[in-house]
Amino acid sequence: MDTTATRPATGRSVLAGVLIGVGVAAFLDETVFHQLLHWHHFYDGAGLEAGLVSDGVFHAGGWLAIVVGLFLFADLHRRRATVPKRVWAGGFLGWGVFQVYDGLFQHKVLGLHQIRYEVDLLPYDLAWNISGAVGAVVGIVLLLGPARPIGVRPGDEA
Amino acid sequence: MEHGVHDAPVGPGAWVSALLVLVVAALYAAGVLRLRTRGDRWPTARSAAAAGGIAAMGAALLPPLGDRPEFVAHVVGHLLLAMVAPLLLALAAPVTLALRALPITGRRRLLAVLHSRPARALTWAPLVAVLELGGMYAFYLTDLFALAHAHPALMALVHLHMVLAGLLLSVVLAGRDPLPHRPGLLGSLVLLLVVAAGHDVLAKLMYARLLPAGAGSPDQLRLGAQVMYYGGSAVEIALAVALMAGWYARGGRELRRERARERGRGRISAPAPAGSPARG
Repeated sequence: MDTTATRPATGRSVLAGVLIGVGVAAFLDETVFHQLLHWHHFYDGAGLEAGLVSDGVFHAGGWLAIVVGLFLFADLHRRRATVPKRVWAGGFLGWGVFQVYDGLFQHKVLGLHQIRYEVDLLPYDLAWNISGAVGAVVGIVLLLGPARPIGVRPGDEA
Repeated sequence: MEHGVHDAPVGPGAWVSALLVLVVAALYAAGVLRLRTRGDRWPTARSAAAAGGIAAMGAALLPPLGDRPEFVAHVVGHLLLAMVAPLLLALAAPVTLALRALPITGRRRLLAVLHSRPARALTWAPLVAVLELGGMYAFYLTDLFALAHAHPALMALVHLHMVLAGLLLSVVLAGRDPLPHRPGLLGSLVLLLVVAAGHDVLAKLMYARLLPAGAGSPDQLRLGAQVMYYGGSAVEIALAVALMAGWYARGGRELRRERARERGRGRISAPAPAGSPARG
């Protein structure tokens, strides 16, 4: 039996979750809305060119986040320092905040592209931003609730 | 272009490129061979990475891809030459191979170069980003693209710059060779984010402004820009995985040492009191 004292890494668990959450949001945005549904456009010519910078940073940041988040999570696991509920908290928070940022700032303020074209946008915008806000709230609730690291289960203590 | 009129299937550029690719391949193979004959091990994965990198270089520079006039063929060549090949060559650890294969004087000289002031300056993260992005932005967004297509020597210089800048980026971020002044994990991630975002923004600017001017029809330019955007992302994801895998492996070695120390200590002192695991 390995006796290395594993200190639960709460902060790192949240960080891994946030990165994976942001990455999943960006991945869904890219695959589902751009590639599968073709609701989003590569570039719709209506937005400010400055918006391209924001778009570029978030496209690159999205996949970078998921790669780094997964490696961080694997590292926590091999050190048996994961706090699973904090990972979930971070995940919901990361996904929700990214979704709202994309929905309010990138779509509306920068006018980068819209969720869908030639339809009444209001229900789409509401669904998009409310789902994101709900995700963020779930994340905050999980963050404040009780949590236990995987290393220390009641049966493991003796 | 006037060159197309002549019935020369393979231009002088292709021969020089072929020679370059062969020299790189021969040098690496000679190094591995010397280690093998001495009875030393050299990881097959590294040789495979080198072979892949050399193949990517060859595919980008030689016909049929190197000769195709369509813009999208140029973009695919750019991705192979300036991104795929450098990443694979960085993973092939050529400097480690050279240090082990060279005689002692050559080894000393190489080490002196690696630890020199210019080498240190070149691996400074902001400079790496400027060299990588600056070359690409200048090439694709200005008249340099048309100018280089009219002057083969200028094109060769541009290619050389892009390969070297890509190699520098890959070596600094994910190279398996020891580097005296590599940025830390956070610095590496910021560098990768800046370069990757810069690449994405460049591809979208090309798409939006239909640049580089004169490289083809609007449809060809848009297709090329999208291939650049998604192809670039794919290679950058591979770069991120290579970077993080290196970090993960280093952490694993550290963890094993730590645990070995703990076990050693446990054997000497009394076992830890039961029922009180550290809870932080």
